[in-house]
Amino acid sequence: MKRVGRGLRLAATGLVGAAVLAGSVAGGDQHFPFGPFRMYATTDRVDAPVSSTRLDAMDATGRTFVLSEHLSGLRRAEIEGQLHRFRAEPSLLGAVAEAYRRRQPRDPPLDRITVIARRYALRDGRPTGAYEDRVVATWRRG
Amino acid sequence: MTAAERWLFTPAPLARVAALRTVVYLFIPVDLLLTTAWVTEHKDVPRSLYTPLVIGRLLHQPAPTHGLVVGVLVALLACSVLAAGGRWPRLLGTVVFGLYAEWMLIAMSYGKVDHDRFAFLVALAALPAVGRARHGDTRRSEAAGWALRVIQIAVVATYFLASMAKLRFGGIEWLNGATLTRAVLRRGSVLSDWTLHVPYLLVAFQYVIVAMELSSPVVFCVRSNRVRYVIVAGWYAFHLMTFAAITIVFLPHCVAILAFLPMERLRPVTMVRRRLAVRTPQPVMAGP
Repeated sequence: MKRVGRGLRLAATGLVGAAVLAGSVAGGDQHFPFGPFRMYATTDRVDAPVSSTRLDAMDATGRTFVLSEHLSGLRRAEIEGQLHRFRAEPSLLGAVAEAYRRRQPRDPPLDRITVIARRYALRDGRPTGAYEDRVVATWRRG
Repeated sequence: MTAAERWLFTPAPLARVAALRTVVYLFIPVDLLLTTAWVTEHKDVPRSLYTPLVIGRLLHQPAPTHGLVVGVLVALLACSVLAAGGRWPRLLGTVVFGLYAEWMLIAMSYGKVDHDRFAFLVALAALPAVGRARHGDTRRSEAAGWALRVIQIAVVATYFLASMAKLRFGGIEWLNGATLTRAVLRRGSVLSDWTLHVPYLLVAFQYVIVAMELSSPVVFCVRSNRVRYVIVAGWYAFHLMTFAAITIVFLPHCVAILAFLPMERLRPVTMVRRRLAVRTPQPVMAGP
């Protein structure tokens, strides 16, 4: 291999290596693809409730249903990743309703979206069977 | 040349790169249409829900539109299938890498970032640099060796740094926490729900995961191929088990792991040809 080729490869290896190490030490998800590999990296306390988020929707005919990933085009983890935005600014859920309309143009549009966090109670790391639903944010067509 | 450099450029058969390249590029249509088809769904999501990554901001990437998402999808499908054939490896390989990087910006800019494809991205970046590599070409080259090595390093880094992230975000108490319980509660299947009710089972499994991740660099120290393949089989078993338990599979990462295996031994086309040659009756010499 020529010296230039070797040098370029060494530099690329070093740069990418340094970037991913720096991301792991001090970066966050926004530094993808060099951010920390934090899949399931947070510690969940064995007695703290486990939260799972869903979107409940009501369309113009009054029909209520769970807004699935297929209906909204957004994954549950993406909804959860933007939860702080929905909480601060519920009108942002209007964009989710717009995504629903684009994806189901023939269906009646949505009049209401509610973000609900279901919290399962745990004891010693095992579910007790009890759960509680909390409304995180509500949007109504204005 | 230092020992580290010699290790980084250990010559490897060109045929191995040719085989890996075909699999990597053929995986892209699977990834786009089947296993992470949700990325395409972002085409309908309004721009107010776009939360750009740092790299997207640096590149002044505008919020993806319906046209952009569909355009990148179609271009990526066409280019990856062409690249799988091995034609114009540098040019097509670079184009595929660029398009796939854009695809990642579309995928990861809506509130959730996945961690399953660092090694796959490294593979897409490194493979074009090998240049021409034919199936069955047993000659060894340093360029092939470097490409395979950096993919291997990326695979091991993914495991090792995953443990570092657990230490950073979860602390040492992660080991005894309820992280897996939470995962099974949220994403469990009939294959895994029972584990919730066996005391300490999921906590024990957390120790197993960290042990596996922290020991992953050992794969570079073993001399025997057989031991190395056992380690790789162990990784695949781990991903299979995770899939059974919580239906999450690091598929792009699993493709990148193939860089540890003698992929050149897999010659499906040659095998089929040989089979057919054996079955076809030879013409009988006509007698006088």
